[in-house]
Amino acid sequence: MKLPYVEYEAPTTVAEAIDLLAEHLDQASVLAGGQSLIPLLALRLARPAVLIDINGIDELSGVSATDGWVAIGAMTREYVAEKSESVADTVPLLAAALPLIGHEAIRSRGTIGGSLAHADPAAELPAVARALDAEFVVRGQSGERVVPAAQWFEGYLTTSRRPDELLLEVRFPTARRGTGISFQEVARRHGDFAIVGLAASLVFSGGVISDARLAFAGISDMPVRAAAAEDLLVGERPSTELFDEAARRATGDVDPPADLHGSSDYRNTVAAVMVRRGLRAAADNARERQ
Amino acid sequence: MAGIAAERYTGASIKRSEDPRILTGAGRYVDDIKLPGMLHAAFVRSPLAHARVLSVDVSAARALPGVVAALTGAELEAMTVPGPDPLMALIGGAGPTPEFTLLATDKVRFMGDPVAIVIAESRYVAEDGCELVDAEYDDLPPVTNAAFALDPGSPPLFANLGDNIARPRSRSEFGDVSGTFADADSVVHFHIDVHRHQNVPMEGRGCVASYDASLGVMTVYAATQSVHVSRIAVATRLGIEHDKVRVLADDIGGSFGLKIGASREELAVAAASRLVGQPVKWVEDRSENLTASGQAREESFDVRAAVSNDGDLLGLDVKMVIDTGSYPGMGTMVPAIMEAMLPGPYKLAALGFESTAVITNKASYVAYRGPWASETFVRERVLDLIAKDLGLDPVEIRLRNVAPRTDPPALMITGRPLVGVTSKESLERVAQLVDFPAFRRRQAEARAQGRYLGIGVATFIEAAPGPRSPEGPSGPMGMEFMRLRLEENGIVALFTGQMPHGQSHQTTLAQIAADEFGVPFEQVRIVVGDTDVVPFGLTGGSRSATMTGGVALHGARQLKAKVLDFAAHLMEASAQDLLITDGNVWVRGDPASAIAVSEVARRAASGQFGADVDAKLEVEATFDGGEGGWSGGTHCAIVEVDVETGIVKVERYVAAEDCGALINPAVVEGQIRGGVAQGIGAVLLERSAYGEDGSFQSATFMDYLMPTACDVPRIEIEHLETVPLDADVNFRGVGEGGMIVAPPTVVNAIEDALSPFGVRIYEQHLPPARILELIAAADSGQ
Amino acid sequence: MVDITLRVNGATCTGSPEARKTLADFLRDDLNLTGTHVGCEHGVCGACTVIVDGRAVRSCLMLAVQAADSEVTTIEGLAPDGGLGTVQQAMWDSHSFQCGFCTPGFVMQAVAFLSDHPDAGEQQIREALSGNICRCTGYQSIIDGVLLAAERSRKR
Repeated sequence: MKLPYVEYEAPTTVAEAIDLLAEHLDQASVLAGGQSLIPLLALRLARPAVLIDINGIDELSGVSATDGWVAIGAMTREYVAEKSESVADTVPLLAAALPLIGHEAIRSRGTIGGSLAHADPAAELPAVARALDAEFVVRGQSGERVVPAAQWFEGYLTTSRRPDELLLEVRFPTARRGTGISFQEVARRHGDFAIVGLAASLVFSGGVISDARLAFAGISDMPVRAAAAEDLLVGERPSTELFDEAARRATGDVDPPADLHGSSDYRNTVAAVMVRRGLRAAADNARERQ
Repeated sequence: MAGIAAERYTGASIKRSEDPRILTGAGRYVDDIKLPGMLHAAFVRSPLAHARVLSVDVSAARALPGVVAALTGAELEAMTVPGPDPLMALIGGAGPTPEFTLLATDKVRFMGDPVAIVIAESRYVAEDGCELVDAEYDDLPPVTNAAFALDPGSPPLFANLGDNIARPRSRSEFGDVSGTFADADSVVHFHIDVHRHQNVPMEGRGCVASYDASLGVMTVYAATQSVHVSRIAVATRLGIEHDKVRVLADDIGGSFGLKIGASREELAVAAASRLVGQPVKWVEDRSENLTASGQAREESFDVRAAVSNDGDLLGLDVKMVIDTGSYPGMGTMVPAIMEAMLPGPYKLAALGFESTAVITNKASYVAYRGPWASETFVRERVLDLIAKDLGLDPVEIRLRNVAPRTDPPALMITGRPLVGVTSKESLERVAQLVDFPAFRRRQAEARAQGRYLGIGVATFIEAAPGPRSPEGPSGPMGMEFMRLRLEENGIVALFTGQMPHGQSHQTTLAQIAADEFGVPFEQVRIVVGDTDVVPFGLTGGSRSATMTGGVALHGARQLKAKVLDFAAHLMEASAQDLLITDGNVWVRGDPASAIAVSEVARRAASGQFGADVDAKLEVEATFDGGEGGWSGGTHCAIVEVDVETGIVKVERYVAAEDCGALINPAVVEGQIRGGVAQGIGAVLLERSAYGEDGSFQSATFMDYLMPTACDVPRIEIEHLETVPLDADVNFRGVGEGGMIVAPPTVVNAIEDALSPFGVRIYEQHLPPARILELIAAADSGQ
Repeated sequence: MVDITLRVNGATCTGSPEARKTLADFLRDDLNLTGTHVGCEHGVCGACTVIVDGRAVRSCLMLAVQAADSEVTTIEGLAPDGGLGTVQQAMWDSHSFQCGFCTPGFVMQAVAFLSDHPDAGEQQIREALSGNICRCTGYQSIIDGVLLAAERSRKR
């Protein structure tokens, strides 16, 4: 399981990286944390001609809070985001999901941008980004654009990043007053990818749910919002019956994949369980956060 | 100083002498070996489960810069001696043996079957070379399950066998089977499946082979459970005289039965190294280890049980099919051991047993820690199933059926005497340690809240080494040999054919020898891992505690007698009046007479003595196992099942065990816990998965799931007071027991947790999705 | 080939690895530091764990060239002058290991974890070490070693 031959570039500025991407396009892979890419290379499943290692581009790291948003540089290590007080205080759903990513050694190297650009549908961060309508800032030779999460994830390990574009940062909206969150997942073992996971964020106003975001990990080829369930929840007070119905609606028209770890039926069943438990936990969390 | 009584090491958890190097990265495993001019091998492996090999073109690989050689299966056959699987040849399997080539030649028989070897400057380049090998195949229908293998219409994997039966059906009966079944109050039927899973040591297989053409000597640095068995394999296959093959082994990263003899790949590497004239290293990567090193446990059982209304298990009639994979090896011998062990410590009056071993397009069945373990799984599952039908408690039914300890001992219906067996005591002890009534109350309260807790027990015995038998040494695999020598510098050296790979022999054997001989622990050295130096031996079969502990004890005693005879000359005393304590020889009652053992040794080596004085302070000792004995115990698990997700947590695990006298309690406990962890892994996580087309689906650790520190709870271990059988050697083996009894313990607990749903479990692998299926099926009355 | 300079166990080292060579292989092959073991090469088993710039990382998931100008500590670099560090000593005293193949990864991960979480309890330690696989021990003896190390460090 040795890596195949690759050419290697290590740009030190964003501009350099973009020039390299424009030159090599589909023949290049961007190497960020390497925690997903290097295993694919070792198994010789990924065969890029060129690795563009962006670990030397300092300007890509950092967490900064602005007006209603937390901007996280693409090269920000997962452990840094995990320790960030800014993230903990203002993007609690992200803070809840981060400790579930693999193990500490993975989070030492893995990056926020890398995970979201890799877009494994069973990973935690894509579900969080999708739930919160995070925004992805990419830059290519033709300029910079901001891609909302709904348009970022296109399919299995596929995003709308063009081959000549570099993901610069991901912006997460700060949680509003009255927010309650939870991240639930069923995994075979502690630290494993989710068989099914749910990122949930509710906003309560006067005891009534005024906003509901539910995004699944693991039930499709990309993170999916449970729109029908969200619609049901808005305007209602929490109750067991409401959450049960939300669970039914959330899993009504999903067709989850089957693999060694679970059949399609199993994922369907568990997805509903995640919704019930996630909504309960989010409601509890809203009370705690007050 | 003389006069101080020696510390007693045996029985204490002496810190391991292996650890300073292990803990500082100074261990030497086979992948750490670097020899001048060493090259690296990689294998081209079949992507198909069953196919004819039309051609293998290695020319592009040979042309790649950095590649030194590339060989096909045919080329390797031409440079080696054809023969059967060397391990089978050694153990002596019955019946026609399948063709055995080092690499596939005309056919590939499992996904991962090696077809070519590439030797290069680095493993990186060797793998690059492998990608350039062009192999053409003609797909054949794969045989991926036993049912198809049994069908005479299935395409035979081996032309010379004609069908896919590795070992034809054979039937034995013990006791009056038909009478017992005819007279029983009821006869119940079960079909029980055990799934394919595997050893997965953290270090894979590997070796460095180095041929010295001028001397005609092949040296192999191996990862092996026996340097001598490996030597036989290499010498035989390569056509080299045995004494011109030297096998060395240092630290080994686990094995659990996998690394015995020499695998096809290792033999290919040895042959290639001879051809290229440079040392060649091959260490398998994890994908190879999971895909190709071998797998175990895929067995199915049709069981009839003759039962009384009061819960007596009167008789069992079992039909077994074992899936031995594509190059059937020792798997064909497993059923015989299962048959012998199936009665366990119980009063079973009749046993019918028949087995068929089939060949399929999967990796070969290899020995995996307690290869016969499924007999305990079947028996302990059956007892629970019967108990449920009769409304009996699992401890109660076992106490009812366990054979009482009598003198003379009760005989298992399959022949062996249950001498010294403490199964009853272990059941009672577990019942004391785990307050069952309190658990049942907690269980009821939890159920009322929608939480499902369960408790399970299982009892086993293990022939470690087994009771003394009139036929010969009680140990599996025969007599144990050891050479013991008092070195010039006063070190007591023990040369053993044992090849520790986690068993801590460097420590435990030194404890025994130090106590017997009378020197400090640090003054004993255990020598392993060199065929030029150590006698024949093998680590496996839970034998070493008794066999090697015993030969060390008796050998140290014999060496001591010899040393005292010699010292008597030096000290002008009678040998009977001499003592050795704390590294000094002294005359009883006269501490001032003390001479250091090292001084005695130095004098002996000085050559000053004539032929009338035996100054050669060395003995060759043997041990036949003495009275031998059984190990065994009862394990108990408490689990919680999340019935919405199928996730199972093992909340508590208790083991009451009897492995005779303990040499080093910490070592014993480590062996038990490691085995239990493998058992938990088997039930909840591990499966060697094949698709219907024979594709192997668990080739990485992302799919073959290993238990972690969050999956294995604290395992409480109680050592039972044991029944000594032998005057001196009452250590019994403990290496395999945990893995044998943990799977039924955990499955019994899961079934208990799910009993409100009416779930009955007839299989060993229970991932979350399967738990939900079982609940749904029970709900719908299936 | 990429020329790199890095500090390993306090000493400055140089090398010219291919870009594709992992840090694990570079340490083992080029620097002859074979204490770091390779157990899976896809980042799951943790046997290859080393400390880079103060963080435990899986050296099979880093390219050697990515460690340029970094401070790397391997198992060989933990103990002062051939002795044993606190974690190593506690693990010896606790009979933590059997075959020893997983050991360097566990030791490095435990050292890194305890330096950040000196007061960690058993459950936290289990979770922190759940990314390291051991096939021999069933983990209890390893956890006991880490708990003992933590206790001894606190006493100082």
